[in-house]
Amino acid sequence: MFPFAPYVLKSLSRHRARTLLTISGTAVAIFAFCMVEAVQQGLKRLTSDEDAKRTLIVFQENRFCPTSSRLPEDYARAIAKLPGVNSVMPVQVWTNNCRASLDIIVFNGAPPDQLRTARNLKLLSGTWEQFAAKRDGAIIGQSVANRRGLKAGSQFTIGEISVNVVGIFTSPIPSEENLIFTSLAFLQLSRGMEAAGLVTQHEVFLNRGADPGTVASNIDSILKTGPVATTTRPKGAFQTSTLSDLVDLIGFAHWLGYASVGLILSLVATTMFMSVHDRMKEHAVLQVLGMRPSRVFQIVLAESVILCAIGGCAGTLISLLLLSWGGLAIGAEGVTIAFRPSVYLACSSIAVSIGIGIIAGIVPAIQTARVEIVGVLRDS
Amino acid sequence: MTLVEIRGLSKQFKKGDEVIKPVHELDLDIELGDFVSLMGPSGTGKSTLLNLISGIDKPNAGTIHVEGIEITRLSRGQLADWRAANLGYIFQTHNLVPVLSAYENVELPTLLLRLSAAERRRRVELALEAVGLTDRAGHYPRQLSGGQEQRVGIARAIVANPKVIVADEPTGSLDSETSQQIQVLLQRLNREFNMTMVMVTHDPDVAKLASRRLRMVGGRLRVED
Repeated sequence: MFPFAPYVLKSLSRHRARTLLTISGTAVAIFAFCMVEAVQQGLKRLTSDEDAKRTLIVFQENRFCPTSSRLPEDYARAIAKLPGVNSVMPVQVWTNNCRASLDIIVFNGAPPDQLRTARNLKLLSGTWEQFAAKRDGAIIGQSVANRRGLKAGSQFTIGEISVNVVGIFTSPIPSEENLIFTSLAFLQLSRGMEAAGLVTQHEVFLNRGADPGTVASNIDSILKTGPVATTTRPKGAFQTSTLSDLVDLIGFAHWLGYASVGLILSLVATTMFMSVHDRMKEHAVLQVLGMRPSRVFQIVLAESVILCAIGGCAGTLISLLLLSWGGLAIGAEGVTIAFRPSVYLACSSIAVSIGIGIIAGIVPAIQTARVEIVGVLRDS
Repeated sequence: MTLVEIRGLSKQFKKGDEVIKPVHELDLDIELGDFVSLMGPSGTGKSTLLNLISGIDKPNAGTIHVEGIEITRLSRGQLADWRAANLGYIFQTHNLVPVLSAYENVELPTLLLRLSAAERRRRVELALEAVGLTDRAGHYPRQLSGGQEQRVGIARAIVANPKVIVADEPTGSLDSETSQQIQVLLQRLNREFNMTMVMVTHDPDVAKLASRRLRMVGGRLRVED
């Protein structure tokens, strides 16, 4: 195959406009495929990673929006005494938008010391001490910071909440990078919140070996007699339920990914059919010179795969850059899904491109390899 | 020494209800170093015979042996390998690959053989020198005249040192002056390099180059005076 590489490449460059259009069409479709896959992966991470399984969220019973859940802060003490519970972090949530939004701002107010130990956040700027010392101090996830152009020392105001940015953090859980953390007391006492002594939810961190289902039902059962009844679920289940309308949309978006794949398939197959139709005589001549039909098959297939691979790599690269720099996320009800680049995303997109190249090229390659040499030479 | 031995060769095909037999129970021996010309009116089976000898068409009956190998029994893939090693084909309309330079066009058949890069280069340079086109090696077909294109086609046919060269009206699309140059070249290749050639032509003057002149009549061959 290798000795014929120049021939393959020159054949592709012969119809430069057609090749470029096919490559750019493939790139656009793979870009769309990548973005859809990034959303799917973000949702999967959010609902099924270790944090989603081993952390419980205690929410007010029959409430679904963070603005409507109001639990006593001191529930934390009662929950912490239950077997299997390692620690409990009360969290006040504030969001600028309860519905689906691409630029959702979510504040989580939590005790700074607990936040530092409970979450695996890494400060890129600022210190935990500064965060704890400053009443209106906030540490901001890198994605929000990039999206909003914030850095340590900035002041950020949204609605009636105004904070001083004391640090920027990253997290191994991408969706956390879309959050802004303040101290619990600050958020509880912010104007309009009227939440002194109240929180939106309690995050319960479990001991190793504790059964999440059992602990959750224990929590709900002991708090049943309290002033506010609760519903406790693993974080993954809670987030899936909170984002249920988005989950449906994302499920639908999956079809857009398949549509992108179909689009590339038809685009490249059309190009390959046109290309081999134009060169039927040339391929017949190559066989007269002694090229085996199997070799002709490989050459046509290689052209198809190269077209798809170049377009696929370009589309993947553009989407990965956008995902890296854009800090994109979609969220609802204070829960966000982060779109992140990943090696898996890059590999799967390129593999899909190459797979499409093979499928799109197979029929034209078979046609070319099986061409009736004498007939083609006579007709031309 | 007999290089090509054809016995009882027949080829027929249907055109509507009519069965056409362009080649019918044909026998022919071609000796090593022979230059055979095939003449005859259009549709008498000259090109069909050439295609059968080249292994790009299959007969309905009969055998073709080339240096002891019965090519009529080979599969399509085996025939391709056989052609790569043993056959040079000169087309009437050159049929060069437009995206490849003259050098790359001539190199194509050598890529199908197990040759080192140095040996490939040596053979391509020799072939281009033999047709007098060393200085046009980097030119693309569109940058060459009709005669130069045909010379590249001839270089491509001889570059793998084939046992047989078949030429299908090699001067058919050229003006008389260029045709004359190609005739001289073909004769030189036959005489100086002892290349065995089978050539189809309509032109009696071109046919005179050959050491044996045959005419297709009724699907069989007749020796031309």
